[in-house]
Amino acid sequence: MLPWNYGLHWSIGTAVFLGAFYTVLVIVVTTVISAAVRSRRVLRDGDADAVRWNSDFYALPARDRACRHELTGEVAQRECPNGFDCRKCDTHRMFLDRRTASTPGGKSYEGFGMTFPLDRLYHRGHTWVRRERNGTVTIGLDDFARHLVGRPDALDLPRKGERLRLNDTAWRMRKRNIDLRVVSPIAGIVLETDGPDGEWYLRVRPEQPDLRHLLEGFEVQPWVAREMERIQAALSAWGQAPEPGNNGQPDIAAVGADCPTACWEAVCGAMFLRP
Amino acid sequence: MISEKKPGKICRYGMAIDIDKCTGCGACVIACAVENNVPPGNEGATDLTGITWLRVFKVDNGEEYPARQAVYFPMMCQQCGVETPCYLVCPQQAVDVDPATGVVGQMPERCLGCRYCMAACPYHSRYFNWWDPKWPAGMEKTLNPDVAPRMRGVVEKCNYCHGRWHAARQRAAEAGLRDIIPGDYAPACVEACPAGAIQFGDLNDPSSAPAKAAKDPESFRLLVKLGTEPKVYYHSKREWARRIGDPSQAPAPKEPARG
Amino acid sequence: MDKRFIPAGVSRCSTGRFLLWLAPWAAMLLFGLYCAGLCLVKGLNQTHMNNRFAFGLWIFLDLTVIALGAGAFFTGFLLYILKRKELRAVINSAVAMGLMCYGGAMAVLGVDVGQPLRAWFTFWYPNVHSMLTEVTFCISCYLTVLLIEYVPIVLKNRKLRQVPSFLVFEHELHKLVYVFAGVGTFLSFFHQGSLGGLYGVLRGRPFAFREELGIWPSTFFLFILSAAAVGPSFILLTTWLVEKIARKRLVRPQVLQSLGRISGLLLAAYVLLKTVDTLIWLGRTTPRSGFLPAQYYAWRPFGVWILFAEIALFLVPMVILLLPKLRARAGWLVSAAAMACCGVAVNRFVLTIQTLALPTLSFDRFLQYLPSWQETGTFLAVLASAVLVYSISFRYFELFPEEGDLRRELLRAPVTEPALAGK
Repeated sequence: MLPWNYGLHWSIGTAVFLGAFYTVLVIVVTTVISAAVRSRRVLRDGDADAVRWNSDFYALPARDRACRHELTGEVAQRECPNGFDCRKCDTHRMFLDRRTASTPGGKSYEGFGMTFPLDRLYHRGHTWVRRERNGTVTIGLDDFARHLVGRPDALDLPRKGERLRLNDTAWRMRKRNIDLRVVSPIAGIVLETDGPDGEWYLRVRPEQPDLRHLLEGFEVQPWVAREMERIQAALSAWGQAPEPGNNGQPDIAAVGADCPTACWEAVCGAMFLRP
Repeated sequence: MISEKKPGKICRYGMAIDIDKCTGCGACVIACAVENNVPPGNEGATDLTGITWLRVFKVDNGEEYPARQAVYFPMMCQQCGVETPCYLVCPQQAVDVDPATGVVGQMPERCLGCRYCMAACPYHSRYFNWWDPKWPAGMEKTLNPDVAPRMRGVVEKCNYCHGRWHAARQRAAEAGLRDIIPGDYAPACVEACPAGAIQFGDLNDPSSAPAKAAKDPESFRLLVKLGTEPKVYYHSKREWARRIGDPSQAPAPKEPARG
Repeated sequence: MDKRFIPAGVSRCSTGRFLLWLAPWAAMLLFGLYCAGLCLVKGLNQTHMNNRFAFGLWIFLDLTVIALGAGAFFTGFLLYILKRKELRAVINSAVAMGLMCYGGAMAVLGVDVGQPLRAWFTFWYPNVHSMLTEVTFCISCYLTVLLIEYVPIVLKNRKLRQVPSFLVFEHELHKLVYVFAGVGTFLSFFHQGSLGGLYGVLRGRPFAFREELGIWPSTFFLFILSAAAVGPSFILLTTWLVEKIARKRLVRPQVLQSLGRISGLLLAAYVLLKTVDTLIWLGRTTPRSGFLPAQYYAWRPFGVWILFAEIALFLVPMVILLLPKLRARAGWLVSAAAMACCGVAVNRFVLTIQTLALPTLSFDRFLQYLPSWQETGTFLAVLASAVLVYSISFRYFELFPEEGDLRRELLRAPVTEPALAGK
């Protein structure tokens, strides 16, 4: 094995054979070590959450990763290749250019017993972002999430001055002994925090003013319809179905109370994009 | 490897066995076992799991009485000279072909017990230690101190009594000679045979019995067409016996030989 | 109770039922370990192998199991190097199966050799003329590669991936998976071939001996080809079996048909080359060794029928798998896959057991061998451990990434019948 082994006959064959073996060994060990080194670097730089979002995103079924332009009907079928970060996407830019200047919206969208004001932009993880006059933004949970979760039993908000990154965990809520993580819709520094009693949860100074990756105006309605489909699919995977509410529409609030804990955890995981 | 760098005469030790003379007494088998510390068969050993570096087969001509004839056929490692199958297949080079003597040596200390060499050997001259070797109480006094016994799970075979070769070289060195004194080295089976059927010598020496047998048209070797160049020459005046070495002439499947 | 560990989006039976499923296999494993222990402690006299039948059941089953486990490297090659994306649905299961097959084979080899503690001698004093050296090196490396490929499957477990370092390491490993797929293919090429070369170089056994192409006997290439041909069939067979046992749809039918088609194409190449090789062997190589072809098949029970059975067990599945109409029907597809697997078992059997049974010397006799219960028990331990590890992997890891999607589709449209629920 080694050149100085007594009695080892060295020949071209031995050299080729052992050469190949050592090459393979070196390749395998180097690859594993490089993966370990890169992992350490990612963890040290605090990028672990970005990896987690990537992993969670691709853990979602293909249909749940549908591009916003598929929801609006602008394209027949498209899977988002960017983790819902439309700022990087050339296709999104192309669609934006195609859209006419005025997109009808109205003041709010009402459907399925919920209200979605259109003065704010929505993230697919059910948070909204509203631009405030002083250059900050406020972030809150939309009606869908409020109905689903109800009033959280406990809250774990970020501290003032803490840095948020897009698609990282913005804050955690505890309900029915399940830890729910809410995906952050933007990157920025937390200035103030509030809670479910107020209108918003966080006031943040955004790192950049670009909010193109968030849903707006006429996109909200098809998105909410798809979310209703998704929650019904998630429930039926557990053999559950939401009860019809007062207006004949499925009542999401009842979901939180009725279905078993494991089912609820799975449903929340799916809806908050954290399976 | 053993004698890579030692100068001296290059020998190719071989044997000439006259199967017409062999009486099947088995003295060679016993002598071999005693010389080489071959353990007695363990409980449960059969003729296929016991160790016999040298074995005598009885082979007949397949005829019925009164034309039936038989010979006794001693077989040991044929010390293949070319493309030695066991040497080529051992994964950890526990088999060594000594360039100075042509003897195929086995290193039980390096043997893993994978038995690939046993599958490779066409002459079935390799034996595996299926048990731990055990000598009955008192019998350990008969052990030969010049030969190391083997452990369980390794392969062993005839090596032309290598211990005797070493002893002969020692005597030659003490006498101030470079090469072994002719006739001083012979394996135990050669010494023990009462009929003198087994002869030993250097094939490179034209006067030795094996060298003469190599040229004798009444001699034959086993499985020559395999190309292994075995160094054991068998001799018989009987034509049917000379066909023993040619497998394509084998009689149709029937009552097998008893070993 | 263990629901937190079960992957999201799929359903598994209750913990109690799972333990009930595991219990008999665990018992079999314990029995097998006892048998292996007997062989290690008391010696190989516990088997029915002898000086003439130096290789027995273990070597035959090792060779078969390694040929079947070739599905792991070949699926990896097809997916990561040739970019056949549909095989993503079975790659995890293939890697798990491969790990079971190779791990089991190595474990049995540890019992089969007389001095297992000397196994490192092969690495220290390698004999490059010997095929067994090549096999040892390649299989050791390949087992390591398979373990490395299995680690991401484990780390992606629902609970384990919540540990940030596991998640990130898995992510980084997966980015480099093509390196492992390439190395695995390279290693597998050589060890599958060397396993064939083990017998092809045996000059002393004309039944096994084959002429050389380059520095390797023809069995080297035939073994690679047969392993690559049967690997996808084995993946097909095991996937179907797991679907039946778990009563779930795990893959889309197109995936299995794709595997079947690949298998069929390679089987065609194999049958052609094997026929040519057989004719050369019988017509030229054998007479040159001084034997007659008739002598190979003169002894019962190994008559000429075994030669034809071997070729038929490759030819028939080849025909079935190449016809799209038959391939589309589950019954035909799975039967063909099973036949191909049996064909490779017969091929390995012929080269190990029949080779040793046939006499070489003219006065030799034909030998019979039946494995002892200790030998059989040891191999049952391999089977049991494979089932146990695979069952645990199936329950807690995502062996079939498409399972969740298929389940959702089924719930959305229950009128669609699963395509593989029968003929």
